[in-house]
Amino acid sequence: MKKPNNEDASLDMTPMIDVVFQLIIFFVVTLKMSDDKDTTIKLADGKHGIVLTQEELPPSQLTIDVARSGRVSLSNITLTDKALEQKIKERKNRYGSEFPCMIRADKNTPHKHVARVMNICAACGVWKISFVAIQEHKSGK
Amino acid sequence: MARKTYDNPKAEMTPMIDVVFQLMIFFVVTIKQEDIFSKLNANRPAPNAGSAQSEENDTQIKIDIGPEGVVFNTRGVSFKELDSHMKQLSKASTQSMVLVRCTLNSPHGFLVQVLDICNKYKMYNVSIFSM
Repeated sequence: MKKPNNEDASLDMTPMIDVVFQLIIFFVVTLKMSDDKDTTIKLADGKHGIVLTQEELPPSQLTIDVARSGRVSLSNITLTDKALEQKIKERKNRYGSEFPCMIRADKNTPHKHVARVMNICAACGVWKISFVAIQEHKSGK
Repeated sequence: MARKTYDNPKAEMTPMIDVVFQLMIFFVVTIKQEDIFSKLNANRPAPNAGSAQSEENDTQIKIDIGPEGVVFNTRGVSFKELDSHMKQLSKASTQSMVLVRCTLNSPHGFLVQVLDICNKYKMYNVSIFSM
């Protein structure tokens, strides 16, 4: 004879644990991708430049973000001109003036903001500057 | 029969389907390919060193960038035209110095495009001035 189901009322936890685990993994993995750059910046195309791979960048590199508004930031932390100068000088003291200094500027940024950053670099003795551009669009943006 | 016994070794599919669905959703949501970036090298002379460049030199190629576009040889040119000019010039020598002069209100995208054209024809001796 079939037992009445009410007697075996214990809840099956397995699917819930599965889902919770998946959620945890999801957040662990995605939180690591937190923005360390200014995501408002839309770069110009530069198909013929030297391809940049994140893995190959030496720790000495400095990527300066310049947003359309003129906001200058490093790792998405806004910097004043003075603070930027300080950072560049620190790099220069540690690695010499040949460290890769890259400017990630929005394609619609007025040149005066980029010129300001370049002048700070030049004043610190860093004359070799690279601009970051997009070699190939993959993200569909 | 309500209870599982060894008589009924049928695998329970529900948790597996749950997990597979979750994994699928996870990958659909998280996979977004990054763009491939490139870098365009240039020189920025120190602001007070500008006077050293003022002497006329035939091997210098001067490109002016304004808010509306590019001026080359005192004539407004499109990027396509500039491309063919640079192609010609690069045949003569890729060592010539390229002076890019930008006005302060020109968009950065123009500068990047000009640098890209210089890189295309292997002219790596590029200096940027602002005016």
